[in-house]
Amino acid sequence: MEMLTRPVSGCITIIVVAFTLLVAQGAQAERFELGASADEADAVIGCLYPMTGRSATYGRDSIVGIQIALDDLAAEAKAGLTPPKLRVIADDPRSKASYAVRLAQDFVAKDNARFFCGIVSSGVAHAVSDLARNDKIIMVGTDHASSRLSIEAGHDYYFRVTNDSWTSMAAGARYLRDLQKQTGWKRLAFVGPDYDYGHVSWTDLQLALDGLGVEYETVSALWPKLYEPDYSIYINALQSAKPDVVVTALWGGDFIAFIKQASTTRFFENIRLANFDTGANYDVMMALGDQPYPGLILSARHHNNWPETGRNKRFVAQFHDLTGRYPTYAAEGAYTGIIAIARAIEKAGGSNDSRALIKALEGLQLALPEDPPGFASYIDPDTHQIVQAQAVGTVVHNEDFPPSKLMVGNWAIYDAEDLKPSKEMVKRRRDAVAGGSEAVPPPTP
Amino acid sequence: MTSLLAVLIDGSIYASWLFLVAAGLTVIYGVMRILNMAHGSFYAIGAYSAASLVGWYFNNGIGPAWISYLLLVGAALLAGLIVGVIIERGLLRLMYGRDEILMVIITYALLLILEDTMKIVWGVNPYFAYQPYSELGRTSLGLLKVSNYDLSLVGVSAVIGLVLWGLLERTNTGKVLRAVIHDREIAVAMGVNVRLMFTITFVIGTILGALAGALTAPAISVVPGIGIEVIVLAFAVVVIGGLGSIGGAAVGALLVGLSRAAAVHYAPEFELFVIYGVMSLVLAFRPEGLFGRTLARKI
Repeated sequence: MEMLTRPVSGCITIIVVAFTLLVAQGAQAERFELGASADEADAVIGCLYPMTGRSATYGRDSIVGIQIALDDLAAEAKAGLTPPKLRVIADDPRSKASYAVRLAQDFVAKDNARFFCGIVSSGVAHAVSDLARNDKIIMVGTDHASSRLSIEAGHDYYFRVTNDSWTSMAAGARYLRDLQKQTGWKRLAFVGPDYDYGHVSWTDLQLALDGLGVEYETVSALWPKLYEPDYSIYINALQSAKPDVVVTALWGGDFIAFIKQASTTRFFENIRLANFDTGANYDVMMALGDQPYPGLILSARHHNNWPETGRNKRFVAQFHDLTGRYPTYAAEGAYTGIIAIARAIEKAGGSNDSRALIKALEGLQLALPEDPPGFASYIDPDTHQIVQAQAVGTVVHNEDFPPSKLMVGNWAIYDAEDLKPSKEMVKRRRDAVAGGSEAVPPPTP
Repeated sequence: MTSLLAVLIDGSIYASWLFLVAAGLTVIYGVMRILNMAHGSFYAIGAYSAASLVGWYFNNGIGPAWISYLLLVGAALLAGLIVGVIIERGLLRLMYGRDEILMVIITYALLLILEDTMKIVWGVNPYFAYQPYSELGRTSLGLLKVSNYDLSLVGVSAVIGLVLWGLLERTNTGKVLRAVIHDREIAVAMGVNVRLMFTITFVIGTILGALAGALTAPAISVVPGIGIEVIVLAFAVVVIGGLGSIGGAAVGALLVGLSRAAAVHYAPEFELFVIYGVMSLVLAFRPEGLFGRTLARKI
């Protein structure tokens, strides 16, 4: 009898635990449906954002950004304008390319989606971008940043509406050029996650520095895996290489972990650490506590405290009103994606034709929260990448956005036109792929 | 020269960490013949318990910093004991005598369940407990400044290795455990309470896993998935050293640690490849691992 009851009780325990976990997981992975109903919608947009796991903050903030965009469109309708009625569906690809592709296929087959949007991981974005090209669905990237998506792997149906790795590194290269004039730094090191985004960011930085004629010596390039919990060996290796400046493409929790671990060493006493693409994100600012580590040079794809325009202040306030907290850059990216689609539909006269919508998106001008006074972002007809200005700065005390006690300040602003990739470079990179190379060509000596 | 010194130091520190993780895994396999995939979760539970406790301690400014080291060890002992007893008594005891492959599948299922349970309990955001790490300061070794916490980890790892060796080789309990390893049926016939030995062994293994996590917590960001990453590395170490061999785990950890440190310093592109390259090379010439013994199989 004992032999029988023990396995049975064990099995019951396992089933109960498994069921509890399944229910909890199911609740977490619930998909979001926002905006117009299926019957009323002029267009359905299928978005892919992480709702669980370490990147969930970006997914949650993106959903709020989408809600703000829909609220803005609803306000326009109330004011007598006729913006399109959009229905937005968002689901969690769980950072898996195959699962993301399946969700995207379901968006088209079951929800009649005409647009894809979102995606944090560049690797996942590549897979969905391929699907978009094959199925002739317009994809508007709002978060992932590898410039390969718009340059080497760019195609008619792919658009991207926040700074990519090229834009950020082009701004960073200008900052480093100016810094060199002040400090005479020479020795450069790079540490980035060992996947597409990290490697492309490093190549973009080298190309941008070389394009500006900056003279430097690369003393180290390290590639910890994504979500590496222990950076001590990399920090030691960087310190041994004695760089003047370390540029990093680590993002989110990885960048925070790197800073925290580096802060227990003498890293910040001798080395400047720059993160030009994601480093000034609000989650990083919060994690820094009240420690403005010397030598941190940061930027991000959107800042809560720059530019100090009415449009940006209103966006940040709207987000805060909805959530009681301040946004990461993901929110403004998602906001931009929805507004871009709405404006493209308007510009195309409400047409359902993909070609007309692509034409409308190419060159589309958008006045966005991150645009400095006197400038409106626009989508480059050649690369389909949005053209935007970027601000880079250092960490300063600023308690206007609690609970963060620090924000980026001492801004250096770089004009959007200067940050566009040159036609020659785009051609060279595309030709390299057409010639059979998968890699971004190495920087010219 | 500085680079070589850095490789030796970084490699030794990494090896000591690997040994801490692999020791529990190899003890459990050596005695119980269970390839415990859930060992990574014990590491993660130890890390989360320690990080939460130490974080709470410092955030509330309760007392002196040295207490935090006791909290690290205490959290690991408590977490390892509780989890070890529950899993051994509640699950594994029902499965003894089954095929080794089935045990791998069962412990793999357990790993997945525990990974999600940890997400529910601790969430998905990183935990930092860096105060015990920074409190110990740094020491100059040549031109390098090395963390005293990392150096003490090397010492702790060596002590744990010696204690395990002494336990198995120099105590009555160790003799009984070796009798169980040698022939389980004869041990039962001689009146050894094998089930009790299994419970003791599993709890020791679990505590070792949790201790590895707890001692590592101040040096890392404690995040979901660390248990899965660690189990892959720990398997590489014990496979290189020979399954079930404490000495083998130590040598395997040193080989992997030094190879990885050399790769990071001299050829960063090959960092991931090097670990598994070493494993492949060892297995190509000694499939049973460096210190493993070829056993006759009962049919």
